Amino acid sequence: MAQLFAPGADALYRLALMTGLACLVAVPVVAAGIVRSSYVTGVGIAPAQPVPFSHKHHAGELGIDCRYCHTGVERLATAGIPPTHTCMTCHSQIWTGSDMLKPVRESYDEKKPLRWVRLNRLPDYVYYNHSVHVTKGIGCSTCHGDVTSMQMTYRANAFEMQFCLDCHRAPEKYVREPDQVWNMTWTPPADQATRGPELVARNHIRGGARLTECGICHR
Amino acid sequence: MSGTRRGGPPPGSPPGPRSAPRLGPRFGPLLASGETLRDIGGAVSAIPLTHPGNRRWWIAFAAALALLGVFALTLGYLLYAGPGIWGNNNAVVWALDIASYDWWIGVACGSVLVSGVLMLLEAEWRGAVNRIAETVALLATAAAGLYPIIHLGRPWFFFWNLPYPNTYDLWPQFRSPLLWDAIDIVSFLVIALSLWYIGLLPDLATLRDRAHAEAMRQREVGAPTRRVALLRAQVYGIVASGWRGSAAHWQIWGQAYRTVALLGVLLVISVQTGASVMLAGSLMPGWHGTLLPISFLVHAVLSGVGVTAAIVVTVRVVYGLDALITARHLDVLGRLMLCLGCASAYCYAAEAFGTLLNGHAPERAVLIRRFTGAHAPAFWTAVICLVGAPQVLWSARARVSPLAIAAVGLLAAAGAYADHVMVLVVTLTQDFLPAARLSYAENAWGIATFAGSVGLFLTLLLLFLRYLPAVSIAETRRLALAQAPAAGAAEAARGVRRPEAEPHAGPLWGVAAAFATQADLAAALQALSGMRGGDVHLDGHGPVPMPRALRPLGLEGRSILPYALAGALLGGGAFYALCVYATAYDYVFLIGGRPRFSWPSFVVPSVSCAMMTGCLAIHVALLVLNRLPRLNHPAFNIPGFLRASDDRFFLSAEAQGDGFDAGRIERRLAALPAEAGRPLEIRRIPR
Repeated sequence: MAQLFAPGADALYRLALMTGLACLVAVPVVAAGIVRSSYVTGVGIAPAQPVPFSHKHHAGELGIDCRYCHTGVERLATAGIPPTHTCMTCHSQIWTGSDMLKPVRESYDEKKPLRWVRLNRLPDYVYYNHSVHVTKGIGCSTCHGDVTSMQMTYRANAFEMQFCLDCHRAPEKYVREPDQVWNMTWTPPADQATRGPELVARNHIRGGARLTECGICHR
Repeated sequence: MSGTRRGGPPPGSPPGPRSAPRLGPRFGPLLASGETLRDIGGAVSAIPLTHPGNRRWWIAFAAALALLGVFALTLGYLLYAGPGIWGNNNAVVWALDIASYDWWIGVACGSVLVSGVLMLLEAEWRGAVNRIAETVALLATAAAGLYPIIHLGRPWFFFWNLPYPNTYDLWPQFRSPLLWDAIDIVSFLVIALSLWYIGLLPDLATLRDRAHAEAMRQREVGAPTRRVALLRAQVYGIVASGWRGSAAHWQIWGQAYRTVALLGVLLVISVQTGASVMLAGSLMPGWHGTLLPISFLVHAVLSGVGVTAAIVVTVRVVYGLDALITARHLDVLGRLMLCLGCASAYCYAAEAFGTLLNGHAPERAVLIRRFTGAHAPAFWTAVICLVGAPQVLWSARARVSPLAIAAVGLLAAAGAYADHVMVLVVTLTQDFLPAARLSYAENAWGIATFAGSVGLFLTLLLLFLRYLPAVSIAETRRLALAQAPAAGAAEAARGVRRPEAEPHAGPLWGVAAAFATQADLAAALQALSGMRGGDVHLDGHGPVPMPRALRPLGLEGRSILPYALAGALLGGGAFYALCVYATAYDYVFLIGGRPRFSWPSFVVPSVSCAMMTGCLAIHVALLVLNRLPRLNHPAFNIPGFLRASDDRFFLSAEAQGDGFDAGRIERRLAALPAEAGRPLEIRRIPR
């Protein structure tokens, strides 16, 4: 009697079975990897801006305070992007003929704001208040990275829910002394384990159960 | 149940004076007399291979496809407009969508339970019913499985229900019956598919061999369709995974089938009670009866049996399978529905009685609204169909009437649907907030969605009937052999031994011998069992399980149970550990005042998961212990081996070392007495 299948069919069939099983595992793993990749989150990717503004030069090398431009960080729900007037406080005096700054001058003349490409955006269903984080001792660099080292600004963290929850579950790991909030190279000091809970108590941060309630962010 | 006893007329049924001679079939055999193994295989496999009643099939298929089109249309509009199209943008958030889901999963549960219980009770007549029951279970699960997805506001995020590594740093809520449901439906799909496929495996091999024989015939005559014929045989060959009907295969297969049936029965109980606990977990009146899980189970089984019975009767009429699905089977199905109808009556009566007796006013109000409210027709339909219709079957004449059985079956299924609508809608229409009491009425889109899911079920069912055996060939053959042990021995061992010494070009794989009966095969294996080990690997091959061949093969102690048990315990334990880790340690979240370690709520999904992983372990064991899949195997070189899935038994002695002496085996076989193991034919098989 004849065989219905050639001898090689077994190997092919088993290979197909194994591939199917491997795909069952690999597809979710690959999908999870893609979702977390910079391709989706945009972390580390500096988009082209209307003016190649360098945080490294202004905030790092020249030492201009964050709040000089982002005036509302301690008072408002959003950090805000400075108006052209802020740029022109200096650039009406220095580098007035620079080609690079032409769009800034045009914006000033025409009274049309520059259209910066926004980097950090939260979904509409997330209630977020910038001021409470800064005033309770969460430093700029915890979320935005060391901006003073960024030539062109990029997103330092993917603001996925796990990023927020990491801190909301254990704020004592991240909270700083008030004078350290603006320190872009801050790392937890050796005594953070004792200092953190003290700061949490002093700032009335109710971590753990209270900060992980759904309604804290999703109102 | 009388039918579960072995052979003879059902002792429980009084042969009263009213049973006129016309009712003879009621006491008839479970299988028409004179059916041989080959006839059974032929009658069943002719349906997928030659498509009798082709025109009727196409008409039915066109109708089913039209309904499926309605489903596609509805789902398209649903995705566009959202679940509000069902008219439940009010307090009645669960209406036809959940009623349909509960009904489909109920039908699936009922079918699994019937098939599983009959298998565990070793009812030898189950072959006529079990395949259709298992198919109904699988297809109803497929239809049911869509509802939890499509009733979500954003169905494309359905996977949020499952525990997977997400970027939210969250776990699904393991204390919630909604999660239990997600795990239940996945497990149920795995179990239903496994039960169906494992049962189908030997029959697929029969189909493969018959299709192969037809393909070889067409090649010889140079028929224009020979390539299609070969392709068909190969497709059956691939899904049959190289089943050779070896005694070892049959042994593991039987154990796997029974164990999956057991897991299925346990899962059914977990799923149906889980569904009722989901209702009891709310604060709504009318959903807290302690009898609710039982009532769910009874109605689920009744609807499952009803749908199965209706389809069994239809298949019997359309394909003329009266010889295999006899009046006795209809009688047994009828008795089953009657019992369940009485159980249903008890459930309704006990619920009404208990509610009226206790002092809880909202519960009483719900009960009264069920009788008289806007949705009272649902209640009365449920009672008339679930309790009333089966009472017809007290009549013995009705129990053997295909029309009556099918009608009662369909009515019972409709009643179960009405029951789900009643349970959900009557409670929900009267919200506690008077402002939320918006009226609800079933609308066209809800009905169209359900009709569409029926279309999906029917389309798949018709495809199954066209391409796969509707009646279990293996089980029916087993019944035939139990009734008349000589059914397979058409030419008996009178045949003369015909050893043909032919020169072999290649190396020798082994020696094969053909027998007419299992008894002969077992005797021959016994005679050779001294040679087993070292250089000779013995095996038997045949169309039915061969328990008598296991002792000489030394396989008696083999069991698949440790694998199933290990798989179930590991899977269930791992899931339970996951629940505990997630809920008590990683994601501590106060919800509804439940304690951090709410252990009882993790039991239900863990049991369901255990059933699923146990079933997966059985699949692995089935493949590994049987050294499958082997699409190409030297045993297929045995001349006439196609009949190993038909009516012949083969012995194979495989050479596994230099000490293999083919001549000695041939002489030993040839010397056996004619009535105790002398083969019809002995062959040397090349590798």
